[in-house]
Amino acid sequence: MMYAVLIVLGLAASALATHECGPLQRLKVKHQWAEAYGTHGVHREEFAREVWHNIFEHAPAAKDMFDRVRGDNTYSPEFSAHMVRVFGGLDMCISLLNDEATLNAALAHLKDQHKERSIPADYFTLMENAIHDVVPHFVVHNTHFDKDAWDACFEVVANGIKS
Amino acid sequence: MLRYLVLFALAGYALADDIECCSVEDRSEMQTMWREVWSASFTGRRVQVAQAVFADLFARDPESKGLFERVNVNVFNSPEFRAHCIRIVGGLDNIIGLLDDPDTLKLQLLHLADQHYDRKGIRKSHFQEISHSFAKVMPQVSSCFNADAWNRCFGSVVTRIASRLED
Repeated sequence: MMYAVLIVLGLAASALATHECGPLQRLKVKHQWAEAYGTHGVHREEFAREVWHNIFEHAPAAKDMFDRVRGDNTYSPEFSAHMVRVFGGLDMCISLLNDEATLNAALAHLKDQHKERSIPADYFTLMENAIHDVVPHFVVHNTHFDKDAWDACFEVVANGIKS
Repeated sequence: MLRYLVLFALAGYALADDIECCSVEDRSEMQTMWREVWSASFTGRRVQVAQAVFADLFARDPESKGLFERVNVNVFNSPEFRAHCIRIVGGLDNIIGLLDDPDTLKLQLLHLADQHYDRKGIRKSHFQEISHSFAKVMPQVSSCFNADAWNRCFGSVVTRIASRLED
């Protein structure tokens, strides 16, 4: 009896554990992100551009939000510089996943910056989905991509920025 | 003939003040040095490098602290100031990554120039000071540090970011 309860508890715990952004998930996401993001600008742009193409494919209207930085041409230097800024911000948040107080301060700052742009909440879901589709191709073997950890931890970041 | 030489020398000097003096080799050196120090895998490292730079800046120029009151500079280890340090040095990370893509780099530097122009009280001299701070901190965390390559590229980047500011 006791044994059965323990097994049930164990299963419940492992089911929960796969969908939370716990300390171990944070380490893994940080590691996989560092691998995908790389260090060279051209590589980073190729990575980011795929994420944006995925977003625009699913929501063509989203392009209008990026008029100021030439959303009509994702290969323009204007849009490239914009992508570099957004991914730089994402890099900052992911790197801070293990430093909660500083992460929250960084997210509060990003929230202020996004407020005036009034971004619909489902655009953050678009970005999350685009990341699922794209990041696996930028880690060494896509079987290693930990989708549950990424979902949970991306939501920590997105929820901190959404108004 | 001599007159032309002098002219060429002057033209060379003017160019040297711009992005051109940071050669392809220098850029690659800078990226290698930076990559060693800066990775999302190591949180503590980023915060420490960024804080060391600002600690050095404030030791050089205590008055510059006043520029950062909005981000709680008076509590040096507060989350707000730590997050600020990370933003600044993260911005540098973007720039170093873009050394391979000059067209995008130029626009990003213009964007940063505008952002700094909008803040009251920042002067070109502050960028000189923080350049010295980086030059002092980097060799302490990077092995095999190439100061000349670093300073040439850092200098040309900073010249652009500070281009709209007063001396």
